[in-house]
Amino acid sequence: MKSRYTIIWLLIAILLSACHAKEEMTYSADPVDNIEALWQIIDTKYCYIDTKGIDWQAIHEEYIAKAAALNINDKMALFDLCASMLDSLRDGHVNLYSDFDRSYNTAWYDSYPANYNAELQKLYLKDYRIAGGLYYCTIDDGKIGYVYYPSFSNSVGVSNLYWIFTTFKDCKGLIIDVRNNGGGDITNAYKLAAPFFTENQTIGFWQHKTGTGHNDFSALEPMTLDQSLVEQCKWLRPVVVLCNRHTYSAANLFVSMMRYAEHSTIVGGISGGGGGMPMSYELPIGWMVRFSSVRMYDRDKKDIEPGIAPDITVTMTSTDKDDIIEKAIQWINKQ
Amino acid sequence: MMLFPVLLMAQENVEHDNILKIKVGTGYQLDTYLSPLGYTGMVYGLGNEWWQPFRKDTKLGKTGKLDHWAHVGRVDIALSNYYSKARTNKYMGVQLAAGWGAFYEWRWIDERLKVFVGPYLDADFMVREQANNVNKIVSLDVAIDVMAMGGISWSFYGKKTSYRLGYMLRTNLIGFDYLPEYWESYYEITQGVPGQPRCSGHWNHNTLKHQLALDMQFPHSTWRIGAEHELINYGTDNLHFVRHQFGIVVGCLWKYKIRANARL
Repeated sequence: MKSRYTIIWLLIAILLSACHAKEEMTYSADPVDNIEALWQIIDTKYCYIDTKGIDWQAIHEEYIAKAAALNINDKMALFDLCASMLDSLRDGHVNLYSDFDRSYNTAWYDSYPANYNAELQKLYLKDYRIAGGLYYCTIDDGKIGYVYYPSFSNSVGVSNLYWIFTTFKDCKGLIIDVRNNGGGDITNAYKLAAPFFTENQTIGFWQHKTGTGHNDFSALEPMTLDQSLVEQCKWLRPVVVLCNRHTYSAANLFVSMMRYAEHSTIVGGISGGGGGMPMSYELPIGWMVRFSSVRMYDRDKKDIEPGIAPDITVTMTSTDKDDIIEKAIQWINKQ
Repeated sequence: MMLFPVLLMAQENVEHDNILKIKVGTGYQLDTYLSPLGYTGMVYGLGNEWWQPFRKDTKLGKTGKLDHWAHVGRVDIALSNYYSKARTNKYMGVQLAAGWGAFYEWRWIDERLKVFVGPYLDADFMVREQANNVNKIVSLDVAIDVMAMGGISWSFYGKKTSYRLGYMLRTNLIGFDYLPEYWESYYEITQGVPGQPRCSGHWNHNTLKHQLALDMQFPHSTWRIGAEHELINYGTDNLHFVRHQFGIVVGCLWKYKIRANARL
């Protein structure tokens, strides 16, 4: 009987110990609460504050004062204030999402040449086929394969690559055009890059935040290109990757990886960067904020956030041809 | 398939309860990996639970007499749909739980009052998708625990119906759970970068699952109505997870036993 009571009291004691305090953020439409929360989120979780030399503390004082002057019912004004604060990060991966608007930053590409003209591209991208997210055809009298990939959000599979390479089996080289590709799923970047390598290898590193300090990061973790992604589907002839300032995020990572392929070169303008893998979080008002949180580096441990400089820089000036594609054709024909 | 085990059990004088049930309830979810805001919504579940006494062993083999030890197992699946208070985002979740336990039963008053205590091995998994999250859409709970299980039941009789009112409680003692690292992305997780599989117990992971059930034996069928409550609360550093659910349960109970017209 005594042991019976002991067991019962033990159970009660265990139940009473089950009390962890919740750390929930409560819903609020108050401008000061939301600016404060947004500032805290970026302060503790954004990965480039110190790298970009941003005085985030000064921004706090400036924007809290502005928020205090806002009408609590004017949600659009609050949205604009939050967006303005986020603009100071100069980052294409930073957005604020509400039911009525989405903020975005343009400072990272405004002062760069477009280096892409869809009308001129049509002179080359003719009678094309579409495999997964890849548009492909031959150019230069069938001597060169041309693949245009407008978004890494569209999937690429090994069977897509198999059919493309089979179509291009008599071509001397291949052009992969990722200009104006704003990124998407980085697993597609791995799959598209893998056929140009012969063995598993480290093609970059990443590190995520481990604490609330601006420089609290994990150790560099290798990003490995796994050949099992594409099995025996290979392209070991010359390949040119075309990029411009709008080549961003996953596309930027793809360009970074392709620099290490044996028969490749990069042609065009500097890519857009977006080397910080974005994450999302929510404000007390329920809006979602997206921001860079995981830093990505190339194989030489150099940050890819500022963009990748091409091996051959070309700025488009012609009005009757695509100078960047022409340069790529020229490079392949010289190999 | 149903007849065979019934006959087999009848010969061996073993009673076996099997309950198929549905659950409808409400829930609260805090998952700071996805959002600092708490979400609330509905839970819909389906489950199966079975109870069976062990048989007494003698030198001549199993006698068929019931022992004071019994075992219980259950499998539950639930779908949940939670919204933030601002209704600007939602979680969709799938929850799987399975477990098995053995318990010792004390019986009083013609075996109408029973109290039981024992260990229980519980596996709990839930995956959540946040609808409007752009780059980090999925979070999950993974835990395997050795639990303490206890309960009490009281059987009573009406004119044509017999009833059993039971309460059961389980809480974790020690086990393993998994946490993503602080702000680790799902790309990194799927690439094999380790999160934090860790030893868990009441110092860092609280699980409390309990149920209140009324079984009603009518002439041709036995039904259950009841309520289930579940609280899971754990975290580390700046990550904090809370799953709090309450549901109403309706089930059908198959009770296999040898004595004709026997009450519960």
